[in-house]
Amino acid sequence: MTSTALLDLSGVAKSFGDKVVLAPTDLSIVEGSFVSVVGPSGCGKSTLFNIIAGLLAPDGGAVTLQGRDVVGATGHVGYMLQKDLLVPWRSVEDNITMAARLTRKVTSADRAEARQIAQRYGLGEFLDHYPKALSGGMRQRVAFMRTLVTHQQLLLLDEPFGALDAQTRLEMQRWLLDVWRESGRTVLFITHDVDESIFLSDRILVMSPRPGRIVADLDNPLARPRNIDILTDATFVALKSQIMHLLHGGER
Amino acid sequence: MRKGVIGKVLTPLASIVLLLLVWEAIVVVFNVQSYVVPRPLVAIQAVTDNWGTLWPLVLEIIRETIFGFLGGALIGIFFGVIMSKVRFFQRIIYPQLILSQAVPVVAVAFPLTVIFGFGSVKPIILIVIWIVFFPVTVNVLDGLGHVDQDLLNLAKVYGASRWRTFWQIEVPASVTPLFSGLKIGATYAITGAFIGELISPPLVSTNLAIYVEQANSHFDPASVYGVTLLMAFIGVAWFLIVSGAGVLATPWERRTVVRRWRRRIATPEGDR
Repeated sequence: MTSTALLDLSGVAKSFGDKVVLAPTDLSIVEGSFVSVVGPSGCGKSTLFNIIAGLLAPDGGAVTLQGRDVVGATGHVGYMLQKDLLVPWRSVEDNITMAARLTRKVTSADRAEARQIAQRYGLGEFLDHYPKALSGGMRQRVAFMRTLVTHQQLLLLDEPFGALDAQTRLEMQRWLLDVWRESGRTVLFITHDVDESIFLSDRILVMSPRPGRIVADLDNPLARPRNIDILTDATFVALKSQIMHLLHGGER
Repeated sequence: MRKGVIGKVLTPLASIVLLLLVWEAIVVVFNVQSYVVPRPLVAIQAVTDNWGTLWPLVLEIIRETIFGFLGGALIGIFFGVIMSKVRFFQRIIYPQLILSQAVPVVAVAFPLTVIFGFGSVKPIILIVIWIVFFPVTVNVLDGLGHVDQDLLNLAKVYGASRWRTFWQIEVPASVTPLFSGLKIGATYAITGAFIGELISPPLVSTNLAIYVEQANSHFDPASVYGVTLLMAFIGVAWFLIVSGAGVLATPWERRTVVRRWRRRIATPEGDR
């Protein structure tokens, strides 16, 4: 690795009883990169996320973020799930500032930032709306803005677009790439959509169950900025074929 | 808007008028004697004719109902919160609370009059509290226990303290179930006050329950039915007030935009 590692995992493992959900895993994530994790359910990808986020304590190993040991600690990553988890009793603006509200007093600077980011990404007119008034795609956008304003360098996104229809999903993927480029954050992105992982990331980790582990660590050579044409590019198709074989190896 | 008012207000009102008409019809058609069941208008007249005697008693039972209800609500919330936060308390307290509801409330009332002295208003308030707190506790406990675990995890990932998570997430998420419990309690409260008054009457003057009891023994069913209707009316009114408070407390359930007065004072535009 030439660039500095933002996140370092070494020998991180987790079992529930006899079941090894995550075999000892080493992983290093470069600052500013976009890394996807693909794999079937039960491959340990959510366990991996929860350990990094501090929701789960690993059985062993070290998790280092920006040189700091974060095992069992929280408050150091942005985190977003397939469920938007917007609270229905708060306006869009107040949902965006939720992380601040949960940790300290919300300042006028927090609110100004929330308004600014919502305006920039096309939700300025909805700042005073309750989330209920928003479409699924808009709600995920708000959830992502809430994640961005935590000012965490590392964003963990666990299938954030999994519940959206294909059209909205593509729109959200392109939007996410724009925001990622502008914000300079590091993204760790779980998906089980192979196309999505290739379209978005610099690097793809393929995971496999029983025991949950990383079976391949692939670099994505596709140039940026990317548009939908790359979905039919030869490099894209070759990479997709390689991942599909890794995921569905013996079952032809 | 106008159409909504007709549907929401006039229809329920019409259903109550219909009930009174059915009552009237049954009395007339089956030729029920007035000393058995009076006609509704006669019952209402028995109240209006004696309004001078009745209104201080009515005011008194309303006071008992409201104070008892508020006490029951607070105690109900208290038990719900501590049982949801400390599993150990739940194991100790919950069986006793259920037991408290299995005991006939009238049987509880007699010792209370002995403890607080005859003629005291305290047993009346305590009985209202006794029957109001339970549905509140059950609903608060349920509400706090069903907050989305993913949302609680999100708060944790952000590094939120338990205290802030409680106030910012668990409390607002429990407002709707809280009001379900309060609404049930609101309809029970007037019944509790009536039972309390019956068992713990004042020593020198009278109260509404004793008034009804005496009317009954004096073969005056018009007053019995009239005052009963009046108490039902008070119960319904209190239920509507509590429901209204519930609607005000949960604006997100029917509005799409935050009301202006709830918004924070906006900083001038273009401050970026």
